[in-house]
Amino acid sequence: MAMIEDVLQFIGVFVSFSIAYVAFRGVKQTHSSSLLRLTTAFVFLGFGFAVEGFVELGQITPALPFSTMAVVAGLLLETTGYFFLAFSHAIDVMISKKMGVALLIFPVISLSSTQLVDVLSILSLYFVLYGVVETVYSYARTKRPDTLLIALGLALIGAGTFVQWLSLLYLNVDVLSLVQIIMKEIGLLILFTPVLRFAVGGVRIDGPV
Amino acid sequence: MVQYRTQVRIIADVLSTARDMNTEGNGVGVTTLLRKGNMSYSRMSKLLSELVGSGLLLELNGEKISKYMISEKGIHFLAVYYQFEDFAQSFGLRL
Repeated sequence: MAMIEDVLQFIGVFVSFSIAYVAFRGVKQTHSSSLLRLTTAFVFLGFGFAVEGFVELGQITPALPFSTMAVVAGLLLETTGYFFLAFSHAIDVMISKKMGVALLIFPVISLSSTQLVDVLSILSLYFVLYGVVETVYSYARTKRPDTLLIALGLALIGAGTFVQWLSLLYLNVDVLSLVQIIMKEIGLLILFTPVLRFAVGGVRIDGPV
Repeated sequence: MVQYRTQVRIIADVLSTARDMNTEGNGVGVTTLLRKGNMSYSRMSKLLSELVGSGLLLELNGEKISKYMISEKGIHFLAVYYQFEDFAQSFGLRL
């Protein structure tokens, strides 16, 4: 089961970095701050999944020992990714840079590593749920079916994050860990659909402008 | 509700006006661009000189007034802009 979880984590890494790549191309071409935040979100998510993947890999091969702090680091990266994803609509208006940094540092300095894992999972859940609400609101405005699809993807990631939190409460139920990764991966694959349109449409996104 | 336009959105609006309103093939006047672009004359003048300088618009000098036509580079910019606008809107975002 650990091997399956590990493979799924690395699929998450690929999907996240692919979305980040297309969004970054958009930043270069259009200088859009929205796309910059989207890039940042998926870079953090990609690194988060990578760290969690390597932690899983450490469980498969004992030669690679990973501490609890590595788990916390992976979750922190993932939560930061969800933070940017959720607030990418209005992050520069809603909070100052100082508040953003404080939000990131506060849990690190005041909680134990076990509590940190709990807090980060709950924070991730809130951020993703906020992202779902904002995306559904955006769908109500634009009536674009693919925006609704993205909201569905985010909802699945949110549900996966909730199951992840449950898996921390019920450590003896192994299957919860696998279920949360599967839900997150399906959610991420749904978020991948706008990227696929670039690939299928054969649009050159790196030509000179 | 007031919708604030980003700089790239304003550029796309001006370029699409220059493309769509150039029905006779001899360019579009500043008045048309101002009406469609919804901005002050001074701001439009500055933007037009930047767009001409970057090669996105072509300036056609007439006897009295200058007219503007979208360039190949401008058409390519619009195509890329619309692709990424579509991408951003999928995530519920505006460019």
